[in-house]
Amino acid sequence: MEAGGASGGQWVPRGPGPGPSLPALLSQLPSSATVRYRGPGIPPWGAPEPCLEQSGQGHQARGKAAPATSPEEPPESQALRELPWPMEAKRYLWKRQGDRPTKQVVGMRGSKGALLLGRAWAPLAGIPKMLEPWRTTLMKIGGQYGAGTESYFRLLRFLLGLNILGALFQGALTLLPLFLLGPLPQPPSPGVSQPCGSYDPRPGGLVDYPTLLTNLLSGEGHLEWSPLFYGFYPVQLRGGTFQLPLAYLLSTFVSGLLCLLLILRRSVSGLKQTLLSESGALTSYSHRIFSAWDFRLQGAGPAELRRRALRYELQVELEEAAARKSAEARSRGQWAALWGARTLLNLLMLALLGAAFYGIYWATDPDGRLQNDPVVQEVPILKLLVAYLPSIFMSGANLILPPVLGLLTGLEGYTRSRQVQLILLRWTVFLRLASLVVLLGSLWKQITCGGNPEAEACATCGYAYRELPCWETRLGQEMYKLLLFDLLTCLAVPLLVQFPRKLLGSMCGGPLGRLLGTLEFQVPDEVLGLVYGQTLVWVGGFYCPLLALLNTAKFLLLFYLKRFTLFTFFSPASRTFRASTANFFFPLVLLLGLALSAVPVLYGIFVIPPSKLCGPFQGQVNIWASIPNAIQGLSQGVRDFLFSLGTLSFAVPLMLASSILMVYTLTLASSYGRLVSTLKGHIKMESESKVLLAKRIVELGGKNHDLH
Amino acid sequence: MGSSTSQLSKELLSEYQELTFLTKQEILLAHKTFIELLPPESQNVVDSLTAQVSRVPTEKVLTLPELKANPFKDRICRVFSTAPEKDSLSFEDFLDLLSVFSDAATPDIKSHYAFRIFDFDDDGTLNKEDLKQLVNRLTGTEEDTQLSPSEMNQLIQNILEESDIDRDGTINLSEFQHVISRSPDFTSSFKIVL
Repeated sequence: MEAGGASGGQWVPRGPGPGPSLPALLSQLPSSATVRYRGPGIPPWGAPEPCLEQSGQGHQARGKAAPATSPEEPPESQALRELPWPMEAKRYLWKRQGDRPTKQVVGMRGSKGALLLGRAWAPLAGIPKMLEPWRTTLMKIGGQYGAGTESYFRLLRFLLGLNILGALFQGALTLLPLFLLGPLPQPPSPGVSQPCGSYDPRPGGLVDYPTLLTNLLSGEGHLEWSPLFYGFYPVQLRGGTFQLPLAYLLSTFVSGLLCLLLILRRSVSGLKQTLLSESGALTSYSHRIFSAWDFRLQGAGPAELRRRALRYELQVELEEAAARKSAEARSRGQWAALWGARTLLNLLMLALLGAAFYGIYWATDPDGRLQNDPVVQEVPILKLLVAYLPSIFMSGANLILPPVLGLLTGLEGYTRSRQVQLILLRWTVFLRLASLVVLLGSLWKQITCGGNPEAEACATCGYAYRELPCWETRLGQEMYKLLLFDLLTCLAVPLLVQFPRKLLGSMCGGPLGRLLGTLEFQVPDEVLGLVYGQTLVWVGGFYCPLLALLNTAKFLLLFYLKRFTLFTFFSPASRTFRASTANFFFPLVLLLGLALSAVPVLYGIFVIPPSKLCGPFQGQVNIWASIPNAIQGLSQGVRDFLFSLGTLSFAVPLMLASSILMVYTLTLASSYGRLVSTLKGHIKMESESKVLLAKRIVELGGKNHDLH
Repeated sequence: MGSSTSQLSKELLSEYQELTFLTKQEILLAHKTFIELLPPESQNVVDSLTAQVSRVPTEKVLTLPELKANPFKDRICRVFSTAPEKDSLSFEDFLDLLSVFSDAATPDIKSHYAFRIFDFDDDGTLNKEDLKQLVNRLTGTEEDTQLSPSEMNQLIQNILEESDIDRDGTINLSEFQHVISRSPDFTSSFKIVL
């Protein structure tokens, strides 16, 4: 294209034929010229270089190229740094703006104050970003291993923060007053026999080293009567002003509420992005191409790997699209066969899961047969093994079943895409959280004699007092054991599974070696492990107040361990995992864990009678009773207000108001969606008219030239 | 960092902070990195800031580890250069580059510059040729690493179908920004930090 000066000093690139060509004409339009504008005095983007003869006409070209919107004057409210101009142009404009401080913009007076406030706040806004720990590590991980792995570590960091908050709350409200005020409680004297049995957690003085170790690992012995467990806390402190039972109860509720709010806040931002994309399938190719390259990637090796991964993914995606088209042409018989196979496979998976759950139930030893076996009682190692049997079974099931389920899902005939991952995720979530449910169920059976308050073991005291004189401590011990075992598994897996695999992979050559030696970070599995660990803490936090603190230490250790193994053993992922789905999905699973953990805690608070021999709620009919008792002590006005909150005349209007709000928001959202599609249609129409007109101009221009 | 604080004056620092998304530490680090790329005789503060005297040729900038492995490295330098031949970067160009790729930059400006980087023929729209070159840069430039012609055509067809709202066969800036706005991974991947 030759550049030619036309009559008005306007730059009109000419096409190969007579008259302006179609692309040249389109590039003169205001919409296209605004894109190319780069600020006062700078040649517009895409202008032919060198444009020395245009510099004198630059002013005119600028004026002509952007008539309507006058880009010399960007709106006052836009910060200069947001303009896509080079530094010279921004500085020029800044100086000009600085010379006119008193210019009043009509109608923007209110926002001017806000603008100044925003400008003053800007330097301080960088501070919270600075306080975030491990920012550079996360960026490095994201660049090298992909967004999915990065989102796992972000979740880990978030959970660490949650645990620190929870530990602080419980520490401040229960532990601190105990140590500052009250006398440290002594265990109940063993000689006294009471209607609800006797409880003797007194450690037997000097114990030998193995017993000490087993006590540490199972929470018995010295640890049983320590601030670690519920049973240690007394009913009253010295001075009588600080109500320890109330504080204990409230700290649980407050930390639970805080966790809920923080998780909701995190999932809302993920939800906003997921809602924006009308349908993931519609824009997958554009997203994949435009946001494909991670600019943080450094080094020729990772870049080459990423390129290979991208190419592979694109090819697979295109193949799958072709396969999907052919699959739609399946006959009815083929569909029936497919669905028959799918139901069969799902039944098989359910059977496997059922077997795993039964194994876990058996391992919790509901009848105490294994525990009371004389051989087991003799050897401390066997005793420890029996105590840890539920954890072993659960970890075993969680290690073995997911690959098997993955294999079976692969046979179901779905396309090898995200569908498979999501379906697999469903099953693994179910497995992990349900195994916890099974454990809790069997414990419940033990404590409440199968929910039968009339059974002879539970009749006197409401719970099985002979085997479990302090059932809350026992529950806390189970959760403590699960936590420890989880930590041990996390420490053992790199050592016993990943390291040998890597070693074997490097020793055997060829495809087998590569198969063994390539380890990839399985993001969904790891995230589920995190959620499982956090759910444990939420369930056990009421019965084992220091569990949050232990979990903080565990997650801290886990972060550094996982980072070390990631950089040492793992290769970058071969499939990209989109961060947006991760950011929405993971907090959702966390919420599920929170909801699940609320059930046993609330059940224990409201229904099961507290132990008569230990804990801050001794002698009450149920744990919740301390709150109404406390309310009775308040003044009349506050009491009436609090009671009115519980009545129907408050709840019903609240429910009505929230349903109206919800319906309104839904209608608004759907109307916006409709508006967007209408506008899209308008844009298409306008652009078609524009292209038609431009074509006509080109034709007429050509004809005119021919006539001359 | 003690010696470099005295090198850039306070007014200049605050001016750069006002006009870019970078923090003070990032600007100082950028200055340090830039000075190391200059030839030894111009490695002082005054010369490094005068664009007429010292511009770093693109080849030297591309030796930075952050840019070396990037398939779009030449396009990035070309887009941010204000030299007439677009073959060298001054310090302010370098700051502009880092500002757009920084953490704090708005998605708007990132998508604007991404559009310019992907526009290989500099005509203000992404046409089929631009998209073809884009895909080739992503997958690899050798013969055996490229997609086959049929796959390429299919891919470009799909992209245009998804993003080209006005059906004129090209993607202009607003269509590009519209697609990018619905891709939340874009802002986190379009980052370069020294």
